[in-house]
Amino acid sequence: MLKYILKRLVMSVFILLGVSMIIYFLIRLMPVDFIQDKINAINQGGATVSEETVNAMYEMYGLGDNSFIGILKGYFSWLGALARFDLGTSFVYGIPVADVIFEHMGISFAIALIATIFEFLIAIPLGITAATHQYSFRDYLVTVLVMIGISLPSFFFGQMLKDVLALKLGWFPASGLVNAVESNTGIALLIDYAKHCFIPILTIVILSIGARMRMTRTNMLEVMNSDYIRTARAKGLKESVVINKHAFRNTLIPMVTSLAGLLPSLFSGAIITEQVFDLPGIGNIALDAMNRGDIPFIMGYNMFLALLSVIGVLLADLMYGLVDPRVKLE
Amino acid sequence: MEEKEKTAEKTEVIDNELPLDKTVRLMSPTRMVVRRFFRSRLSIVGLIMVVGLFIFSFLGPVFYTEWGEIELDESGKTEYSVSQATYTVNGKEYTLRQTTEKSLKDNFLDAPSAEHILGTDNEGYDIFVRLMYGGRISLIVSFIAVFLITAIGVVMGGIAGFFGGVIDNIIMRVCDVLICLPGVPILLIISTILDASEIDAKYRIYLLMIYLTFISWPGTARLVRGQILSLREQEYMVAAEAMGYSVPRKIFKHLVPNVMPQLIVQMSLSLGSMILYEATLSYLNLGVKAPYAAWGTMINIISTNQDILQNHLNVWVPAGVCIVIAVLGFNFIGDGLRDALDPKARR
Repeated sequence: MLKYILKRLVMSVFILLGVSMIIYFLIRLMPVDFIQDKINAINQGGATVSEETVNAMYEMYGLGDNSFIGILKGYFSWLGALARFDLGTSFVYGIPVADVIFEHMGISFAIALIATIFEFLIAIPLGITAATHQYSFRDYLVTVLVMIGISLPSFFFGQMLKDVLALKLGWFPASGLVNAVESNTGIALLIDYAKHCFIPILTIVILSIGARMRMTRTNMLEVMNSDYIRTARAKGLKESVVINKHAFRNTLIPMVTSLAGLLPSLFSGAIITEQVFDLPGIGNIALDAMNRGDIPFIMGYNMFLALLSVIGVLLADLMYGLVDPRVKLE
Repeated sequence: MEEKEKTAEKTEVIDNELPLDKTVRLMSPTRMVVRRFFRSRLSIVGLIMVVGLFIFSFLGPVFYTEWGEIELDESGKTEYSVSQATYTVNGKEYTLRQTTEKSLKDNFLDAPSAEHILGTDNEGYDIFVRLMYGGRISLIVSFIAVFLITAIGVVMGGIAGFFGGVIDNIIMRVCDVLICLPGVPILLIISTILDASEIDAKYRIYLLMIYLTFISWPGTARLVRGQILSLREQEYMVAAEAMGYSVPRKIFKHLVPNVMPQLIVQMSLSLGSMILYEATLSYLNLGVKAPYAAWGTMINIISTNQDILQNHLNVWVPAGVCIVIAVLGFNFIGDGLRDALDPKARR
């Protein structure tokens, strides 16, 4: 077991190296030039920047050489810094990239966590009723509704909810995270947060219920056909006991495994939803950074996402072996 | 033989008044799948939705030629703006109301009428016609992407699963790396690179979809590999070996057709997700760019224009509805196919 984990960890390092190389080269090919923008800003202010200063600035930011060798050098210096746990300094914010990520991760994480909890609370009972009433009207109704949820584009549905709930009915604020006019503290601030996050969370929940519900339904159907369910019924147990105690418990195996796979989505931020509601989450910040050519931040953010998905896959495999004794990892 | 017996059982239930020997009929597996597919109401609904959209987008512009994709309605529009000011003179209050009449060249944001079935958008393009052209792009692009993904996935997965060993290891590690690439952020990066390279607005979406293909084939490759690993051990493969068949023949003639059921299901489901991807890219103004139409591009305007978001629903809601219909249709078909192709499902 320990050998297996070690082997997987070593492999993960190589995967991340491959990913980082691809991302670095792509980012360096981006035409958005932070230095040029900065110099333009200075020029507009009336001052002039000499050729030497410009070159010195490119050198300082490590962007002096845009040939293949130059980019390769830049990549290795980035890698060297990473070995010392240094992701570099964000061009735009002027503070370490890791700090920027952690600063904005909180709000994305809170929204994703709450949305995931509601997703499970709603999707699992729906999946169970659909499975126990297979091919009935109820099954069709639930299936069609969640399928519509899966098929909605997040930007379209988000804007629709915003239009109806925020702009037409005025029940919730349309965008942002805090009310700029009032300066709330304590519990009032928390309520303010909740009000602002309600529609984004609702959007995410409705879009994601479908996959979870259908997964529950499929697993439940599979379990309901197994012999031990027939045995439980033959023993004369009540149907509710059969479903909740014997059947549902065994659908938890794939559920727990998928929990580990959720890890990346909890921290990575929903770029589109955050953009629609103008939330200062990590996804929105990354979108902004990409438009401004903040190379260290984009690099750090993408590597953060890649790391999360590597960990997610590894955890899922380990969990699978842990919850299901029939699975042997080698 | 077993297949035949099952068919007999089934037909007996359907018309039990006939003697058994007259009802026994051989049915090919394909026919059985087709029958099971059409027995489900949801798959029929999905099929109607998708076929309807195809007719709408590909034949629509042929018959409805009032407006073109990038043809502005230049019939003009008069805009009235009212400004109001209150003055207090000698303790008395006066209200000055001023109405400005402005004649504009393009007939933009026109309400739905006989001339413009769904009205015009903020530039003065006919929305109904642009829906058709947008559908063309979305459907073509998604089909190309899905076929490429399947083709590359089948070849790579087939090779990896059949040969095993070092080749398998290399292909699977490449898959691992590609799967860990963050999808949307990298699409954004590539899109800005495309912006600089001055590629025609019409073709950039194809290049983006090629990139999507590049990161999406590992999923299919893994599926094919897993299937082939188990199929490789079957008796008929030993027979194929004994017959001295060539390697490509064994892979593509004997192994891949047995993976087809799962592949078809995955293809129809990923058609839906490709349409969503394309729409999202266009919404972020990274995919199809103005003046050309795509469903996502038609919704893009509301991210900056609150007035259209609130007061001109005819500009953006139809495009969203089209996206939902397309994705839902493909999902229904995929689901129906999954049930129809599952040999364990008996209904």
